[in-house]
Amino acid sequence: MSDMSFHLGEGSVRIEFDEGLYPKDAIYGAAYVFIDRCWVHLDRAGDRRIQVTLKAKKPGADTQAFAGEFQNELLGQAWRLRIVEENKKLVESITARALGGAAGPPGLDELLAMDIGEETAFEDPLGIAMSWEEKYKKKGKAEGTKAEPEGAADSASGGEKAS
Amino acid sequence: MTSLATLFTELGPAAKSPSGLVPFRFREVGGDVLLTNFLGDWLFVTKDEFRSLARGELDPASPLHDKLASRNFLRDGLDQAKAAERIAYKKRFLNWGPNLHIAVVTLRCNETCVYCHASRANMDAVHTDMTPEIGEKVVDLMLQSTSPSVTLEFQGGEPLANFPVMKHVIEYALARNRAYGKGLEFTMVSNLAMMDEEKLAFLVDRKVQICTSIDGPEHLHTKQRILAGGNAHREAVKWIERINKAYIDIGLDPTLYHVEALLTTTREALKYPKEIVDTYVGLGCRAIFLRPVDPFGFAGKTAQIVEYDRAAYNDFYRTAVEHILDLNRRGEQVLERYGSIFLTKILGDDDPNFLDIRSPSGSGIGALAYNYDGKIFSSDEGRMMYETGDPAFQIGDVFSSTYRSLMKHETVRALVLASIREAQPDCVNCTYTPYCGVQPEHSYRTQGTIFGRMRESTLCAVHKGIQDFLFDKLRENDPKTVEILRRWTTVRARTHFIHASSAS
Repeated sequence: MSDMSFHLGEGSVRIEFDEGLYPKDAIYGAAYVFIDRCWVHLDRAGDRRIQVTLKAKKPGADTQAFAGEFQNELLGQAWRLRIVEENKKLVESITARALGGAAGPPGLDELLAMDIGEETAFEDPLGIAMSWEEKYKKKGKAEGTKAEPEGAADSASGGEKAS
Repeated sequence: MTSLATLFTELGPAAKSPSGLVPFRFREVGGDVLLTNFLGDWLFVTKDEFRSLARGELDPASPLHDKLASRNFLRDGLDQAKAAERIAYKKRFLNWGPNLHIAVVTLRCNETCVYCHASRANMDAVHTDMTPEIGEKVVDLMLQSTSPSVTLEFQGGEPLANFPVMKHVIEYALARNRAYGKGLEFTMVSNLAMMDEEKLAFLVDRKVQICTSIDGPEHLHTKQRILAGGNAHREAVKWIERINKAYIDIGLDPTLYHVEALLTTTREALKYPKEIVDTYVGLGCRAIFLRPVDPFGFAGKTAQIVEYDRAAYNDFYRTAVEHILDLNRRGEQVLERYGSIFLTKILGDDDPNFLDIRSPSGSGIGALAYNYDGKIFSSDEGRMMYETGDPAFQIGDVFSSTYRSLMKHETVRALVLASIREAQPDCVNCTYTPYCGVQPEHSYRTQGTIFGRMRESTLCAVHKGIQDFLFDKLRENDPKTVEILRRWTTVRARTHFIHASSAS
């Protein structure tokens, strides 16, 4: 059996391919693109074969074109995954700068909207109110490990609370 | 002569890059090969020179070596600090939030257009008028933008159909901005048929820039834009002339201050490239934006009538711009806006921050669109999709959303990620990546995904076609033509329209 095949039905098309051809995220992404035009069914057709059925919501749709478009979209999704992985730092840096620059620092409205009640007012997830000894030395000794460097401890989201 | 497409197949294992080159992309333009690097520097080499490069041959004593060095294609001698500075400067728009705030003050419109992008309503549909309270909330949100300058653009429908609210919003914005001190501008996109002297006096006094639609010569304009009981073209022309005179009367330079007009290139318009240009020049316009028809609003439904193959558009574009260049050679000062945007990046080493041709795009982080009912969208295209039944790009409303909640909205984040060129198939290898951009809403509307597939994208075909044309002109290197193209990168600020209120 070929790695990929498709079968035209009444207002639908069934596409089958080897599951090793594309990452699962790419398959989900490509299938999702069709949900406004088709009823989309994902299934397993047999040993290591994925089956995608696209059933047109409207009569008269060109289902063969759907099959072609799906295959193009699969390729696009798979390649994009790889490109994003390779350019991860660049993408993260541009996105962070764009969203940070647009949103700006939190304002008074945001502080007022924060959930500050009797139970949460004294939470100290970053351990700012703790002494250095309390935060690092005692913890290190108690756990029998080396004290972490300051930056690492700060960025850890362990969420220890001051007691 | 070997074509570029088969060159590497022929070279086989002999193909290798000379050491010391920075990463670059290439494309055949005319008879030569265009190289671009990550800084946006570019250079043409002959096919023979490219063949040598592809074999890994680069003689340090050769003219090609000097050429590559002078345009930052060689690692040795590349000033890294300066390179970082250039990139940061060109991407400085990332430091600011939305500058453009589009307020749809009504969906009511007195004209019916074949390609209407705005999703109009009939003149009796007063329930589609924005209320003064919603208008005030629009202003309150707009002024919270991190951008030091903001533009409030009134659109419709026909915004003059809800003029009292527009007036109220302008007065409110001027008063509120005293506390913010932003550079504040107003623009209005109108068909002008509902203009009168009283409205004009207010708009001129409050420094509202006026923009209208002109489809070309009268026979084309009136065929595509139906004004009940009137002639849409004559009304627009009459008011363009009247408004331009009003600017002269208050001492403004008519070469800088005049009504701007926008073209929507329909299938019918493709037949009249020169006539369209001549119509614009005859109206005193100094800029023509040869925009292809968008797939939004009614144009999505009337696609069979107004749409066309993008190769036909590119032919239209080339003919129109060749005509514009001829006019410039005869002393007429007129430019094409698409060309101007790309050339500012190619020749001007800057980014004019045109929201649909930048990376990432301006969706949400560069512009917001406020519907008459207070709903907020990442762009006007997103709003139009909502009006035709798809709310995918709604990111909030003026009643409950805070400014930061809009900027941190998951849809905005997705739109940013989807429009970073260096993270998309095709774009990542495209020679024009340093100058290009996509509109994720367009990809979503035409292909069902905000990421888009550029090989099938009509927008990509248009951008590539225009840049092929411009680079071919630069390759020919005719001094007069290059001088004209350089002139198109010079932006003269219209300072009269800026309300520079200082915060109190």
